[in-house]
Amino acid sequence: MDLKLGKYWAWFAGISAALMLITVLLAVYYAPVAASSVRTANELLPSIEGSTITVAGFVADREIMNPIRTPEDPPVTAITLADFSDYRRYLDAVVSGGLEGEWWTIEPITVRGPYLPLGTNVSATGEVVATHDSSSFMLSCDSSDDVVELSSPGEAGIMTSPISQKIFYFHMPSAWVSYVGFFLTLVFGVMYLRTRDRRYDRVAASSAELGVLFATIAIATGPVWAKEEWGVYWRWDDTKLVTTFVMWLVYIGYLMLRAAVVDHNVRARMSAVYGILGFVTMPMSLLSSRIAPLIRSSHPQVIASSSGGLSMEAGITIGIAVVAFTFLFITMLIKRVEIEESEDELEDLKRRVGGED
Amino acid sequence: MANAFTALYVAYTIVWAGVFVYLLYLFMRQRAINKNIEVLKQELSKHGK
Repeated sequence: MDLKLGKYWAWFAGISAALMLITVLLAVYYAPVAASSVRTANELLPSIEGSTITVAGFVADREIMNPIRTPEDPPVTAITLADFSDYRRYLDAVVSGGLEGEWWTIEPITVRGPYLPLGTNVSATGEVVATHDSSSFMLSCDSSDDVVELSSPGEAGIMTSPISQKIFYFHMPSAWVSYVGFFLTLVFGVMYLRTRDRRYDRVAASSAELGVLFATIAIATGPVWAKEEWGVYWRWDDTKLVTTFVMWLVYIGYLMLRAAVVDHNVRARMSAVYGILGFVTMPMSLLSSRIAPLIRSSHPQVIASSSGGLSMEAGITIGIAVVAFTFLFITMLIKRVEIEESEDELEDLKRRVGGED
Repeated sequence: MANAFTALYVAYTIVWAGVFVYLLYLFMRQRAINKNIEVLKQELSKHGK
């Protein structure tokens, strides 16, 4: 196979640069966050009042709001809760109640002690009851006496920060092209094993390297968002995060394998097999947030969510971002394959020179 | 929690630094390979090949 795309490289580079510029402008100046993530408490309450919801999350921030208190004046801890059945419904919550030194027993996790440690997982199921103050609502828990009061702060409502959410316009397309890269590694690995044509091996290796680059960008930007939204950089109990990390490690292993084997044919054969076997981690990562909450993941499910979607502006921006990153990937892939070809030529020349000595 | 703008700038810096550093690496790698190829070709032509 000959890509024959080298002569179009400048075109691809120009188009991807233009699309990237448009993406940046849209992301920074135009697109708001996902439509469902700007609902205020007033908007949210009518839709959920009286319904049974499950909220779950972890202690993201802890603030003892009444440090000087009597035993009758229970401690208050501010925590961040996320509804795992609808990821975007993030709630800044104030949990109050219980005696000093004793906290809620919220199924399925028991939290005891004077403080809720940061990162503690908390979940509760109950009926949403509006209070006299429409900016807050009550969630009655299963346990008869337990009441979790959830209040929405500020104008931004109950949801994620509109500013930090703009990270999403670059984080998600980076992850997308990394998946594309690993998929191409699989496809061209299979094609190499069938034909033993080294050109396929070059494309497989190049796309794997680019996949690792973009996966690194996705993995590096994700925690920045997570720190802002979840209060922690990383969660080892989140399936999406862990499977993506494992996928990243597997493909770093692919690159290490290629670097370690000197012989062309052995390297190509081994890495093709490795690329095929390693690909199993890609659907694991891609699908892990889609089958939540069957498995535990609070990572956003961006596309085809049953519980809402993106605003038109956000949809346009993310669409253009995905196209821009795809063009950028193709541009880089062409250049990277050219380098692989040059390296092969160099090795052939070295052999010829060495053979003469 | 961190300032949302700080988080945004940090994330955007990671993206663009990653892309541009990798592009720079590609071009430098290509240039080094081309130089070596030139040298080896000259070496071969010296030996009348």
